Amino acid sequence: MTGPDISVMVVDDHPMWRNGVARDLEERGFEVGATTGDAVSALRIARTVRPDVVLMDLNLGDTSGVEATRQITQEIPGTRVLVLSASGEHGDVLEAVKAGASGYLVKSASVDELVDAVRRTAVGDAVFTAGLAGLVLGEYRRMAIAPDAGSQAPQLTDRETDVLRQVAKGLTARQIASKLVISHRTVENHVQSTLRKLQLHNRVELARYAIEHGLDEDGAFGKQ
Amino acid sequence: MTSRRAGSAHPGGERVPRQAPAQQGSHEAPDGRSPLWRAHNGLRAVAFLYALVWFALLVNDYARPVLGSIVLVLMAVWTAFTIHRYRTPNGRTNRLVLIDLAVAQVLFLANEFVLTEQQMQAGLPTVVTVWHGSMVTAASVQWGMLGGGVVGAVAALSNFLLRGYIDSNMWMDTVLHVGAGLLLGLASDTARTSTERLSRALRAEAATAERERLARSIHDSVLQVLAQVRKRGLQLGGESAELGRLAGEQEVALRSLMAAAPPESTEHDETDLAARIRVLGTAGVQVSVPATPVLLPAPMASDLFSVVREALDNVDRHAGDDAKAWVLLEDLGHEIVISIRDNGPGIPEGRLSAAEFQGRMGVAQSIRGRVEDRGGTATLDTAPGDGTEWEIRVPRPGDTNSIGQGTAGHRQKSPGAQ
Repeated sequence: MTGPDISVMVVDDHPMWRNGVARDLEERGFEVGATTGDAVSALRIARTVRPDVVLMDLNLGDTSGVEATRQITQEIPGTRVLVLSASGEHGDVLEAVKAGASGYLVKSASVDELVDAVRRTAVGDAVFTAGLAGLVLGEYRRMAIAPDAGSQAPQLTDRETDVLRQVAKGLTARQIASKLVISHRTVENHVQSTLRKLQLHNRVELARYAIEHGLDEDGAFGKQ
Repeated sequence: MTSRRAGSAHPGGERVPRQAPAQQGSHEAPDGRSPLWRAHNGLRAVAFLYALVWFALLVNDYARPVLGSIVLVLMAVWTAFTIHRYRTPNGRTNRLVLIDLAVAQVLFLANEFVLTEQQMQAGLPTVVTVWHGSMVTAASVQWGMLGGGVVGAVAALSNFLLRGYIDSNMWMDTVLHVGAGLLLGLASDTARTSTERLSRALRAEAATAERERLARSIHDSVLQVLAQVRKRGLQLGGESAELGRLAGEQEVALRSLMAAAPPESTEHDETDLAARIRVLGTAGVQVSVPATPVLLPAPMASDLFSVVREALDNVDRHAGDDAKAWVLLEDLGHEIVISIRDNGPGIPEGRLSAAEFQGRMGVAQSIRGRVEDRGGTATLDTAPGDGTEWEIRVPRPGDTNSIGQGTAGHRQKSPGAQ
């Protein structure tokens, strides 16, 4: 996919930033279908516009960007969410990724990095920064040693652990591929699979929580 | 690009205060002695009813029934008043408890004139009966074991004084008075210290949260700007270079201030190493840590933090201006793993004796020494053109089940890789 084939929606409550990103993307040939500053209209607009990629800020005024991410990725199958946040690589980024975001980029990233990340997100790749890899790795480690996690908690294979550690140490996919003597594509697949397992587990946990608390199955959970 | 930077710094700084600071006063734990005061109030009310029954039985035989009635009415008033006052923490003053003692003593000793000599000798109860003992409970809850014991002894002494003789019943009263004073006092002391400890922990928690919030906000704004000024200033040279150097000094000072200020330790004197290491991130240093705190004994956390900083300083000195560095912190439960990697030129082969490398070895030995003191290993992996990478593994102290969980997939690097 090249620029013009990809439609993007920008969700950020800071107008200056929102417009700046939209302009940058349009200059590179992306189609910025919509921009909005709050999570509620983000979900509404995304349902009709069905963008390929939603660029999501996590600090929104109304509901959190994490909830918006969860609802968009669950309700609109073709749409992928790329988190673009200034909040630093902390818990909320991990939560957004667990909720279904396919990647994360810091706001201080260059336009080239942004463009590359949007392209990769559109084709279904996971966009990982070293910081996000550290968070995801930490989450698997936490589940592995948590006494209550039991056997349902997802685990990384040795290879996945290895790949994730290299990403967290700043190696590019290409460098990792040559270091581990595997193909570039295999590296991408490993990274994606670590994310998918985490998201699946998160969804199962939420569903179980919903059932235990007697909530309605369809869409009632997550809105609290 | 420029506008992007400006835009990103602003919302970051603006959004932080959205997390409402913890409510003032919520850091004080409720007084743990409150249940004891409620028990005291209950006891006093029951004791008064008990006294009322005996009064009805004995009033016709009293030497001075009118004085007895006055004593009883005063008891009723005093009981109601103190129950009301002791109900709230503000009412539990030392002065009130002292007055309470005086009132109970006066009312008790007034029985000298109420009871007949025969009643006194027969060991029949006074008008106040066991109500007298409630001054012991008040004193012990207020003043703890020492106060309770002393007031218990006072109560027993005045008992001897009033009766003018000693028998086995009175010895039993003495034991009960002093014993109850000591026991309740001990309970009160315990409740007070645990209340204090809880308050301290709550305050520490609030202070830590506030510190982290500040650190994050400073990190997202001031530090990034200072780093930018230093870098740009040095590039421009001349007077700008001087400004850049000054900005750099302030950056280092602020960074070490944030990192070194001992975060109010938790109850077990543990520090979150993840929070401390996160502060080291800059435009050129990417720090990756778990989302959850990595709690370690404070001295160990400080040591590991210094090790990481030393390794990063080394990158600054030797890896060249364009080199980037990555720090990865992993918590395997039984073991802490820290990796510090840079993409500089690495250590060239055959340069072992060069002065530059001598400097590096000094640092390497210092890092190794510190890690080995904690029972861990530090391995340095480097190749020409391939940067350097430290891997530091330290066992978590006090961990007994050191199963090799989660460690699969790591190759143990040999120091001889260079």
